[in-house]
Amino acid sequence: MTISPAINGTASGTASQDRRLRTAAPQSGFAPWKDPAKKPIIRFEGVTKRFGDFVAVNNITLDIYEREFFALLGPSGCGKTTLLRMLAGFERPSEGRILVEGKDITDLAPYERSNINMMFQSYALFPHMTVERNVGFGLRQEGMPNDQIKLRVDEAMALVELGKFSHRKPHQLSGGQQQRVALARAIAKKPRLMLLDEPLGALDKKLRNQAQFELMRIQEQTGTTFVIVTHDQEEAMTVASRIAVMNQGTLEQVSTPGEIYETPQTRYVAQFIGDVNIMEGKVVSLPGDGTVDITPASGDGRIFKAGACQGLVVGQQVWLSVRPEKFRISLEQPQSTINVVKGRVDDVGYLGSISHYHVHTEAGNRVTALRANSSQSVERSISWDDTVWLEWPADAGVVLTA
Amino acid sequence: MRKWMVIAVPYVWMLLFFLIPFLIVFKISLSESEISIPPYTPVFDLTAGWETIKTQLGQLDFEKYHFIFSDELYTAAYWSSIKIAAVSTFITLLIAYPLAYGMARAPKEWQPTLMMFVILPFWTSFLIRVYAWIGILKNEGLLNALLLNLGVISEPLTIMNTTTAVYIGIVYSYLPFMVLPLYASLEKIDGRLLEAAEDLGSPPWKTFWQVTFPLSIPGIVAGCFLVFIPAVGEFVIPDILGGSETLMIGKTLWSEFFNNRDWPVASAVAVLLLLILIVPIVAFQWAQQRSREAGR
Repeated sequence: MTISPAINGTASGTASQDRRLRTAAPQSGFAPWKDPAKKPIIRFEGVTKRFGDFVAVNNITLDIYEREFFALLGPSGCGKTTLLRMLAGFERPSEGRILVEGKDITDLAPYERSNINMMFQSYALFPHMTVERNVGFGLRQEGMPNDQIKLRVDEAMALVELGKFSHRKPHQLSGGQQQRVALARAIAKKPRLMLLDEPLGALDKKLRNQAQFELMRIQEQTGTTFVIVTHDQEEAMTVASRIAVMNQGTLEQVSTPGEIYETPQTRYVAQFIGDVNIMEGKVVSLPGDGTVDITPASGDGRIFKAGACQGLVVGQQVWLSVRPEKFRISLEQPQSTINVVKGRVDDVGYLGSISHYHVHTEAGNRVTALRANSSQSVERSISWDDTVWLEWPADAGVVLTA
Repeated sequence: MRKWMVIAVPYVWMLLFFLIPFLIVFKISLSESEISIPPYTPVFDLTAGWETIKTQLGQLDFEKYHFIFSDELYTAAYWSSIKIAAVSTFITLLIAYPLAYGMARAPKEWQPTLMMFVILPFWTSFLIRVYAWIGILKNEGLLNALLLNLGVISEPLTIMNTTTAVYIGIVYSYLPFMVLPLYASLEKIDGRLLEAAEDLGSPPWKTFWQVTFPLSIPGIVAGCFLVFIPAVGEFVIPDILGGSETLMIGKTLWSEFFNNRDWPVASAVAVLLLLILIVPIVAFQWAQQRSREAGR
């Protein structure tokens, strides 16, 4: 959000092990991607997709594991939907191959990929069929007997908590109900792999939050591997076990939501997920205790301390990123002199539970800080034109090399 | 006030150009034929006063209708017209569906051009296009010359002045009226529905019957009515291509008017034709209404 190429101070950085502990994913324990013995359910091998001169997906290699809720996240045109459509079989890779459960499916037509089903953006429900016939469509293609289809349809409808609508047509349902039907239709075939293309994009915010948790419940209950495409970073953070952040057809980073947020690997990822303050600088020294000293590119000679990442060399160009909520904003000068900047409040955004502060620093940069409004103005609230100090721990700063 | 006038325009139009002419025709159908100008009696004289008109009204009767129903020629002509119209509608549908399907599936930038090709025949007079078929279908015409040269046949086929020629003429003339509504409904089908069907395990040909075809039914219905309704009363095509062999109500009507100069019978034939066509017209309106309500 705000870009700030100069902050003030130094700090003793805590090492990255610390960070990893803190960012352990909510479903701790489930991390098949860390287990080298585990075989992925999906494997993209050097997959490239070109449309004429345009490279939609550029040489992607990616493993997705069983029972994962995997999110492909990125702005429109980043190639996330193309990647999903190649998995469903609607697009054929220009190069590379796709394996599902060890089997090469690159050249299979969509209807031959019986263990993969997709929930479409805007649902693509058949308008001429009742809800029941929509949900049972996939099962009828298999030639399943009618009484069994009935059972499976009821089961799927119960799973998505959609009961009394089976004889209605899709246009007689609300958006939220249509979304459930679409989900039930895709899940009714009990696929090994469920693809979701912006499944909640058409819902309003409140309904969307509720639907996200429902997706997670269904994913857990059925044990299906889910791959979701979304441009909504909050949605990806909420539902996913791992997120792949995509940019112009390539993977920027594939990590758990926690890692993506706390230790982004590139400026692109840092800026795409949440708000961030970024300062351009240069490595001054590597004390060897897992920290790095950085001086701003503006060249005012100040030194900031942050946790080091691998492969840094003295003199290298880097970017220091600090999340707004990592700042401690105060009206009094803190005792520490490490990683402290002084500035003047330009703007205050009061959002009820939290407040945003836009601070104009002495070095002439705008920094965004964030504070939870935990007390009811017991302390004097910070206001426009106040002189404030921003302080942050060394391990809150992340060094980015790209 | 102005709103009222806007609403009134179509009603005034219908009154002047449909209802009043219809009432005149209906009145003639209840009259007696006579050798005079006009060739029927009574002729209402609105200046003669109410009493005269009342006497004249008393002279009207349904005798001509009785005559039409008792003479097999007319019933045969009605049946034959309906049969010819139904069969040609079906043939038109069989030819138009692949055409419309191909158009709807063609690259977007091609579609306006293809549409142009379908509409292009309208730039030439209908009458001239039907006459042109004589040159193709007659014994020494283009079609026979081609088939003889190719060795497909050894003797020229007699197509002109048969019902076959009428079928060809109707199918050819009304094809655009079938293609356009079909194209409109096929083009509207969301490609994601077809993808969803394929994703759920339906191969493309099954997807056609399970998704594309049912969703194109409103187009099929509209196209069939648009061909069937005018084809029933068709006069030009059977007259030019069908010769004396083809019995169609349009031709019967024409000969009653111009050969027999029996206006009352001709009017009664016309009124009955209209009554017969009201059924499909109302059905058509109902179908249109329904597909609009279904929101497709």
